[in-house]
Amino acid sequence: MKRREFVKAIVAASVSAKAMLGQKAAAPVAPSVAPPAAAPAPGPVPWMRGLLEVKPLAMTPLLPDSVAQTTARFFTPEQRAALHRLCEILLPPLKGYPGAVDAGTPEFLDFLISVSPAHQQHLYQSGLDRLNAEARKALGAPFASASAQQADQLLQPWLRTWMPDHPPADPFAHFINVAHSDIRTATINSQAWSQAGRRTPDVGLYWFPVDPDMRRQAPGQGEA
Amino acid sequence: MMADKTVDVLIIGSGHSGGMAAKVLTEKGISCLMLNAGPIADMHKDTEVKPAYALPFRGFKQPGRLAHVFQSNEFNANTWVDEEEVPYTYDPQHPYNWVRVRLFGGRSLFWSRQSFRLSDYEFKGKSHDGYGDDWPISLADLAPFYARVEEIFRVRGHADHLPQYPDGNFVPDDSPWSGCMQRFRAAGETLGIPVCKPRSSMGVDGLASSINLLLPDAFATGKLQAMPNVVVRELRTDPRTGLINEVHFVERLSRRELSVKARVVVLAAGTLESTRLLLNSGLGNSSGVMGHYLIDQVYGPGIVCSVPEARDGRSTPQLMGGGALVPRFRNLDRKAPNFLRGYALNVYSSTGSMDPRNFAAYGQALENKLDSYKGSGFSTGIMGEVLARYEHHVRIDKNVVDAWNIPALHIETRYTDNEINMARDAVDTSIAMAEAAGFEVLSKNYEPNPPGYSIHELGTCRMGDNPKTSVLNKWCQSHDIKNLFVVDGSSFVSGGWQNPTMTIVALAMRASEHLGEQMRQGSV
Repeated sequence: MKRREFVKAIVAASVSAKAMLGQKAAAPVAPSVAPPAAAPAPGPVPWMRGLLEVKPLAMTPLLPDSVAQTTARFFTPEQRAALHRLCEILLPPLKGYPGAVDAGTPEFLDFLISVSPAHQQHLYQSGLDRLNAEARKALGAPFASASAQQADQLLQPWLRTWMPDHPPADPFAHFINVAHSDIRTATINSQAWSQAGRRTPDVGLYWFPVDPDMRRQAPGQGEA
Repeated sequence: MMADKTVDVLIIGSGHSGGMAAKVLTEKGISCLMLNAGPIADMHKDTEVKPAYALPFRGFKQPGRLAHVFQSNEFNANTWVDEEEVPYTYDPQHPYNWVRVRLFGGRSLFWSRQSFRLSDYEFKGKSHDGYGDDWPISLADLAPFYARVEEIFRVRGHADHLPQYPDGNFVPDDSPWSGCMQRFRAAGETLGIPVCKPRSSMGVDGLASSINLLLPDAFATGKLQAMPNVVVRELRTDPRTGLINEVHFVERLSRRELSVKARVVVLAAGTLESTRLLLNSGLGNSSGVMGHYLIDQVYGPGIVCSVPEARDGRSTPQLMGGGALVPRFRNLDRKAPNFLRGYALNVYSSTGSMDPRNFAAYGQALENKLDSYKGSGFSTGIMGEVLARYEHHVRIDKNVVDAWNIPALHIETRYTDNEINMARDAVDTSIAMAEAAGFEVLSKNYEPNPPGYSIHELGTCRMGDNPKTSVLNKWCQSHDIKNLFVVDGSSFVSGGWQNPTMTIVALAMRASEHLGEQMRQGSV
């Protein structure tokens, strides 16, 4: 579109919006009517017209986990295999509830750790590497191939009791115990667990952002 | 607001202290304008009950966000101040958890409601043990105000007649002790440690906030106007009088710069925000102690136990449930070997499921433990005094600004041997009492949470009679600037172990009555 035609189209749109407003001048201002100062919509009809009157759709929005698989792409294949086996061992299916693997926990944790701060990534990466190294030393094979009994021998010495915010100081014990807690949380909070449901899912009062700021970045500044 | 109009009293902050100032002053007929940095929350619009699986991170905290707010989770993350939006700095070796809420009503919207008076072991600590400084007031000065505050907040409690746990104007708590609490009390008795009923604000309809207990009365007078979403940047003085006459602020969303003239300013932005504003304004610090003597309280150390008789489906309401409070018992008559002052213990009994972290087990074995131990939980947690020290301080970090270009605070504090030794004693004493009561100790933690975690930051504008060693006088009024009052927790000289809310609100009430009288006489 040539510039002159474009300008003409803008003018036409603005004229028709004004005309429409003029017809309604006597009526109270409705939210579905664009305010006079707003940029004109690129068409003869105001964009928001009619939305206020629409009835809610008879639909339940689908959550991704109910039909889709998480693409795991953070851990190396060997780390991923160790995490998968760790999930099988630490939280198997019990009492009719899905185990960690059924709940998609290995893939979810791959995602969660991939977007976590570096120290958290290091905790998991070095922890899974250490788990594989310990397995190789004891069994001559990575952790993924450990039997339940062999896995127990590798894990049991590192299990601790601990209180929130104060995981064990030893780095490997820290990893084993935090990973155990994370695997449980990711599984028990999963949709699969909820649907197995004799127990009520972990519902809570969710707060939307309250009148949030857009956090505009001022020139010459870091992230505000 | 009309331009060129001078406000009688401008109140900065809408939490418990600002709310009390507004109530007292407007009820005396004084017009007030309240500024608040954040928006007004509307539960109907801003919240929704959701299962964890419907949240983006399955109920995990969004990684990297609110790293210093241990209290945050994915459900409530949007209620806290984002530390990227309002940053602060610290030595990475000595982090500080600055936990803030800027919604209208501030942190009075979310608090544990434990409601205590300070005793003269706190007000007159130096006279008792030689450390630090006495407050310029005593319990007798504040007691009448405590009594009125307790009535407004409907504090439920039991009179125990202990000097370190002063009684108040209580809604009487004569509820019976559960069996496990009776056993814990008996264990305390053999060790000479009192185990008392907790004390907490019932408020109205379960809420004890400035927005339901204080501000409605203020608005009902017709004398209070309030403006949300404005971030105060600077207070300015009239060079002829040295008095504050102008308050400059920024509209939160638009960044429009505005100012308003005021006859008196009452700062109630919360301890560290009030101090930050004064430091950024370069006002009220002829003593040089502003920003110094930052204190809080030690939280985190404690134990988790199981009551054996309550396991395997035998937990009953007679045996389990309820809470207790062990008020300070160290350094009252006898000196503890390796620390000054003291701590209290929060004591809880749980009839629900146990935290799996209390068992070094997994899979089926862990499930068996959780089933067996359900309803048998018993725990203690420290609330410990942190000594006021000059070197524990805040200052302006000129290299970092917040989202409104306001210079950030640098916080420099750490726990010393006194706090570490106190925490160790609290855990060891908890274990001794629990074992004497026949409980199985499952887990323990000696390590304090980072300073600030308790959300009880206090001091940095401490009060005193001497203008050379204190920022405020005993009426929370600046020694330097007569029309400046600071009514939040920054006036504290020492912190004690007590949740400071009742003391903050009582001090705000006392300061505001004094201010009202001074205004009536024309001396402010």
